[in-house]
Amino acid sequence: MNIEVSTIFQIAGIGIIVAMIHTVLKQMGKEDMAHWVTVIGFVVVLFMVVRLLNELFQEIKAIFLFQ
Amino acid sequence: MVKLAGAFLVMTAGTLIGFAQAARYAARPRQIRELLHALKRLETEIAYGQTPLPEALGRIGAAVAVPLRDIFVRAASLLRDERGTTAEACWREAVETGWPDTALREAEKEAMLRLGTSLGASDRADQLKHVRLAMAQLEAEEAAAREEQRKYEKMCRSLGMLGAALVVILMV
Repeated sequence: MNIEVSTIFQIAGIGIIVAMIHTVLKQMGKEDMAHWVTVIGFVVVLFMVVRLLNELFQEIKAIFLFQ
Repeated sequence: MVKLAGAFLVMTAGTLIGFAQAARYAARPRQIRELLHALKRLETEIAYGQTPLPEALGRIGAAVAVPLRDIFVRAASLLRDERGTTAEACWREAVETGWPDTALREAEKEAMLRLGTSLGASDRADQLKHVRLAMAQLEAEEAAAREEQRKYEKMCRSLGMLGAALVVILMV
């Protein structure tokens, strides 16, 4: 339980920081770079979520398919 | 505890990198202005003093601040050595060696090197014209550098800190 909560907070932190970087870059007129930062942040978060989902499905398999 | 110390170190490093970048942006217009003053002195030395080039460059070097001083002083000492090369070669060598210590970019370097091709190689009016041409180019660069400083100085500071925070969060 503890690990999942910290991961969720980590994802939230990444979201906040990436949003701030996006705002700063956009204010300075580097919109293309701002969008790249957002996309990269999104991909990183996606990987973390995929890892969590993998754990979830492993648990489900272990429970229902008796492996 | 170790984690906390590491996070603190990463934050400090990122913030310092951001501040160093911002300082570079702030230093560029100032150094261009100093270079302009130096060229103005050179113009005076050529036009009214008719000072020999090594002496003129040495005097200018004594008057300007540190990162640019090296260029002028080195050029003067290379010229005094009399190694059988042209004044342009000495000037070029001094500029090439001293350049990495300054916050200046390629455009200013080109202007300075172009100035070097005529220094001490032609009559007074021609040299004066070349000095004025270099000054005009530097003035244009200074305006661009100020604009860039206004735009990017703050951005670098906040980006350094935010990037460090992102790295810390990713690694925790």
